[in-house]
Amino acid sequence: MEKDNFFQLCQEYNGATDYTLSAHILPITRQYLSCNTQRKLPVIWLETSDSGDNNIAFMNTTYPYLNQVFTDMIDLLYSNTFMAAQGQDALDILNEAVEAYRGKFTLVVEGAIPTKDHGIYNVIARTKQRNITAWDAVTWLGTAAEYVVAIGTCASFGGASAAAPNLTGSVGVGKVLKREVINVSGCPVNPDWFVGTLAHLIMYGRPELDDIGRPKLFYGSTVHQQCQRRSYFDKKDFAEKLGDKECMFSQGCMGPRTGSDCPNRQWINHVSWPVKVNTPCIGCTTHDFPDGSVPFFTSLSKKSKDQYHEQKPSEEKGEEHESTKNPF
Amino acid sequence: MSLQKILFSPVTRLSGLLSVELEIDNGYITEANVSSTMYRGYEYIMRGRHVTDAVYLTQRICGICSTVHGAVASYLLDELYDNDIQENAQYLRNIILAADFLQNHIRHFYFFGLPDFVVMPDRPPFLKQNCFDCRLDENDNRRLAGHYIEAVKASEKSHQLLALFGGKAPHQHSFLHGGVAVAPTVDKITQALALIGDIREFVQRYMLVDTELISHFYQDYFHIGETPGCFLSFGLFRFGTKNEQVLWKGGVLENNCLTEPRLDLIQEDIARAWFERAKWLGEGEIHPAPHKPGAYTWTKGVLYRGRHFEGGPLARMGMNGYYQGGTSTMDRIVARSLETFLITELVEKWLKRLQPGEPPLKQKTELAKNKGIAVTDAMRGALLHSAYIKEAEVEKYDIITPTAWNFSPKDHAGHRGPVETALVGTSIPSAELKYVIPGRIIRSFDPCLSCATHLFDRRTNTIEEVIY
Repeated sequence: MEKDNFFQLCQEYNGATDYTLSAHILPITRQYLSCNTQRKLPVIWLETSDSGDNNIAFMNTTYPYLNQVFTDMIDLLYSNTFMAAQGQDALDILNEAVEAYRGKFTLVVEGAIPTKDHGIYNVIARTKQRNITAWDAVTWLGTAAEYVVAIGTCASFGGASAAAPNLTGSVGVGKVLKREVINVSGCPVNPDWFVGTLAHLIMYGRPELDDIGRPKLFYGSTVHQQCQRRSYFDKKDFAEKLGDKECMFSQGCMGPRTGSDCPNRQWINHVSWPVKVNTPCIGCTTHDFPDGSVPFFTSLSKKSKDQYHEQKPSEEKGEEHESTKNPF
Repeated sequence: MSLQKILFSPVTRLSGLLSVELEIDNGYITEANVSSTMYRGYEYIMRGRHVTDAVYLTQRICGICSTVHGAVASYLLDELYDNDIQENAQYLRNIILAADFLQNHIRHFYFFGLPDFVVMPDRPPFLKQNCFDCRLDENDNRRLAGHYIEAVKASEKSHQLLALFGGKAPHQHSFLHGGVAVAPTVDKITQALALIGDIREFVQRYMLVDTELISHFYQDYFHIGETPGCFLSFGLFRFGTKNEQVLWKGGVLENNCLTEPRLDLIQEDIARAWFERAKWLGEGEIHPAPHKPGAYTWTKGVLYRGRHFEGGPLARMGMNGYYQGGTSTMDRIVARSLETFLITELVEKWLKRLQPGEPPLKQKTELAKNKGIAVTDAMRGALLHSAYIKEAEVEKYDIITPTAWNFSPKDHAGHRGPVETALVGTSIPSAELKYVIPGRIIRSFDPCLSCATHLFDRRTNTIEEVIY
C-alpha cells in the first residue's frame, strides 16, 4: 500500500470509537510483513584463493551472532566451511540450489581467482570428468546470481593472493565477471561490513557503492578522517617508535589513503583496532593491498619501490573465460 | 566386492580445499591420495620485501591459525635483530597466541567436527547431512546441536580476548619482533580475565563433556584411523629473553623414544607433488608444475630422517605426559579437547602474572645476522619459518607448515604420510559410509589446506642456528 493511501485510510477511520481502524490496518501490516521482512537471503559461498580468514572473521560477528545470521538472515546453501554435507552430496546441493534459486541467490566469493594456466591453481572440487576451477565455478555462478559479493581483499582486488610476483595470475572477482560485484574488502573483512552488506541486500537491496565497488556506508571515509589520534597528526606529533601513543603516520600508517571505519567500529565486539594497540593501519581494505602498503613500517611518502607501485584499478577486464555453463 | 574407486571431493568443513581419492577393495581402503587443490606461492611473495613485513604478511597464509605465523616470524626476527624480550612481553605474546589456539580448537570441534557425529537441525547449512551412522539419542543430539550456539559465543570471545591485546583478529597487530606493542593495563587485564573465565566455563561445561560423550558412543574410533606413532613437535609457548625456553616441550617420538628434533634432518620430497626442480632457477630451486605426471597435490612431502611424522595436540599432549592413549581418530579428538582446557588454565595464570605498565616492546634496528630459522608448534603441528636476508631484504623465505607433515603425499619410495596411512586399511562396510568414515578420520587431523599450499624450499644442512 502506498503511503498516501495509508494516510487516507487513517483519516477515514480517525473518528471511529471502536476497533475499525485496527481492523483495517492489521491485515495490511500483516501482508507487508509477510512480503517484506520474512525474506531470507539464499547464499552460495565459494572459497577460492585466500587464507580462509574471511570465513573466520564472519564467525566473529556479534549481534547478530553467527547462529542468528543462519537462523534469521541467510540460507547458507553451499559453503565449504560450514555445510554438513560432503563429497558428491555437497555438489548435488550446489547444483540444486542454482536451479531452485536462479536469479535469486547471492554469490559470496571468498578469495582471488587464479587465471594463469586456465586457473589450475585453484580447484574447488573434482569430478570423475574434470577439475572444477575457481574460475569455472565463479563464471558459472556469477551469471546465475542476483548479487555477487566479494568478501575480503583477495576476492575484491586480488589482495595477498595476487601479491607480486603473482605466480598464479590471481585477480579479484570483478575482473573475471561481466557484471557488478559488491566488494566488501578487508584483510580480513570486519564482520560488521559483511553482515551489514547482507542486511542491506535483504532489507533495502543494493547498497550505494564507491568507485571501486565498496559499500560507501563502511568505506566512504578514511581511517585518517576518523582516527582518535588525528589531533596528534594535526600538531605534527608523531610516534618515534611502535608502541608509542602519538600519531602512527611516521610508523607507516596507511590511514590517509584507506577507506574504512575501523577507528569508530573497531574489531571483535568492537574492543580494539590496530592503532589502538600502537601500531599502524596497513591499509588492508585498499585495492592495492599488500603491495601498495609495503614496507609496512615505512612512512607513506617513502613506501613502495617501483615494482610495487600502486595504480588505480584498471577498468579493463581480465582474460575472458570461455563458458558460463554449469561445469559439472 | 571388487575394487572401487571413490572420489571424495570436496572434503568440506575444514580450512582450504581438499579432495581425496580412495581405492576400496573388499570393503577396505587399500589406497588413498590426499590432494590439496590450491596453490598461492607465499615464499615467492616474501622475496624482495623488508624482512619486518614477515610478521604481518605471513599471517595472511592462514585465517584460522594466523597468529602462530606472526609469532614464529617474530621469533625469527628476534633472532636476526638479537632482541631481548621483556617478561611482560613474554606473557602477553603467549596470551595472544593461546587465544588463537582456543578459537581454533573450539571452532574445529563444534563447527567442523560435530556434524560428523551429531544430528544437526535440518536446515542450511546442515542440509543433506548423512546421518546413517549418528549414534546419539534424540535428547543428546538436540543438546549437543544446541552447544554449537554456545561454541559460536565462546570462540568469538577467544578472538575478543586476542583482539583486546592484538588489535584485531585474524591477523593481529601488536605481537611483533622485540615484544608486544600494547600496554597491559588493568582494565584490559580485568576484561581478559572475565573473558577467559567464560571460555573456561564453556570448555568445562560443554566441550570436555561433549568430547566424553562422543568418545563413548563412537568407541570404535579409538581403533580407526591409527597411525604408526611417529610424532614430531617443536614445542609450544616460548619464554625467556631470547625465546629460548619452551613450556610444552617438543621432540621426535619414534619407537617410544623421545629425542630432540634436529632441523638438519628435515627434508622435502616433491616426488608426488606438483613441483619440479628447474635448473635455470639455480640449485635447489623448485617451481610449480601443475601437469606433472604422477603428482596429485600442492602439498609438498616433508620427511624427518627419511620418515613421515605426525604433529598436533596428540603429539604435544603425549610428549608432555598429559595424555596416554593410542594414535587413533578419537585419540586425536580427545587430546585436542584436553589441550583446550589446559590452555584456558594457562591463560588465566599468565594474565594474573602481567604487571600493568608501558608497552613491553624494544625493537633493535641493526641486524645481527643475515639468516635465521625459528620454530614453534602451531595448532595442528610443527611450524618452521626460515629466512635468508641481505640488508634487511628477504632473499629467500621458507615455511614448513604442520599440514606439510600431516598431509604429506607419498614420498619417492612410495611411503605414505600420516593422513594417508590413517586412511589405508580402514573398513568401509557400506556405500552410505564412503564419505562418513574417511571424513571423520581426515578431520581429526584438523586439516588446514590454506597452510598446505605454500612452497617451501629449504636447502638442508645449510642452516646452523636453531632457536629452541
